Amino acid sequence: MNPLFLTETATQDLVTINWTFIAQICNLFIQMFLIKKFLFKPVREILAKRQAKADADIREAKEAKEEAAAIKAEYEQNMLEAKEKANELLATAQKNATAKSDELLREANSQAAAIKQKAEADIAQERRKAVNELKDEIGSMAMEIAGKVIEREISEKDHTKLIDEFISNVGNA
Amino acid sequence: MDINIVGPKVYWTIDLPFEVPLLGGKIEINETMLISWIVMLIITGLCIFLTRNLKVENISKRQAIAEWLVELADNFTLGNMGPNFKKFIPFVTALFATSIFSNLIGLLGVRSPTADLNTEAAWAIVVFIMITHQKIKSSGFGGYLKGYTEPIAVMTPFNILSELATPIGMACRHFGNILSGLVINSLIYAALAAASAALFGLLPGAVGELLSGIPFLDVGIPAVLSVYFDWFSGVMQAFIFCMLTTKYISNAAEG
Repeated sequence: MNPLFLTETATQDLVTINWTFIAQICNLFIQMFLIKKFLFKPVREILAKRQAKADADIREAKEAKEEAAAIKAEYEQNMLEAKEKANELLATAQKNATAKSDELLREANSQAAAIKQKAEADIAQERRKAVNELKDEIGSMAMEIAGKVIEREISEKDHTKLIDEFISNVGNA
Repeated sequence: MDINIVGPKVYWTIDLPFEVPLLGGKIEINETMLISWIVMLIITGLCIFLTRNLKVENISKRQAIAEWLVELADNFTLGNMGPNFKKFIPFVTALFATSIFSNLIGLLGVRSPTADLNTEAAWAIVVFIMITHQKIKSSGFGGYLKGYTEPIAVMTPFNILSELATPIGMACRHFGNILSGLVINSLIYAALAAASAALFGLLPGAVGELLSGIPFLDVGIPAVLSVYFDWFSGVMQAFIFCMLTTKYISNAAEG
């Protein structure tokens, strides 16, 4: 026999309504309160916390992404500027170099021209000098020869005229 | 062998100086109350155990179970009642937990609190008050009373009857199932003990006398039957009671 149904102690009737009814109503609400306090409240708190954390993570990720995009844009901008600057520098350098080389060339040309001119002038002077020397020498030589040939003194004026004639003849030769 | 199926044992009696109609003049602390408190302790202890050391990430198995239970309660209640009934979640959960633990604690050899009509009647009256409250809230007190005369005034007695049938039906359905399980179980125990005595009584002499006193057939065989009468029926009735509670209350709110 099942020990539960031993009838030694007093028992209630199988189907009655008594104070247990009130007790069970109270028990149900107490149980509801206990479940609310010990299961729902802590679990919902932790779920809310997790939700908040997930939201925060997503927000942070979004912010980080935006920041990265901004940095990238800035970097690209900088790169573009740097490239432009480099191009500019290159262009300037090229222009400068061209200008400088042109100047150098011009200077060299002018210098060369000057040197040439000077050389020509020197040559001309040398020639003139040589001609003058020659003229003097030939003059005295001619006078000597002539004196010896004609054995007479030619007047200084004639003399000079004669020589100039001669020299001009020589010079044109 | 006589089989006595009686109500819960009475442990302590508090005499009241006055008589309360229907409930009587003395409060008896009985098996139902005691086991109910044990059930409540078990449920609350389980809640506290499951929600210890809750963490936001890298959660333990215990916490996963706790979160799963909360989610289950949410889904069951809101799924049956709609999203506007969030405040009923703890009530339905308490009802379900108390019902299922009360039904299954019978497996430990004690008397289920649900094998006492007081328990189910208490729950059903609470649900009935909630249903009525929702009805009055949705259509006003006049509208609620007018609802009894629809579709025609002649139907009023039947409407009142059907309204009262709701809590009575809920309570008796649950109580009847658990009580019948209890009755059938005790019948099976007694029958198997008698069969055992008859079988081993066939043995001659003192050996037969000794062995026939031990109910060998009571080992194992009732466990198989208890799969239906205790486990299936217990879980099913808890589920049905909560299902009806949610459906009735949400239907009442729709007016």
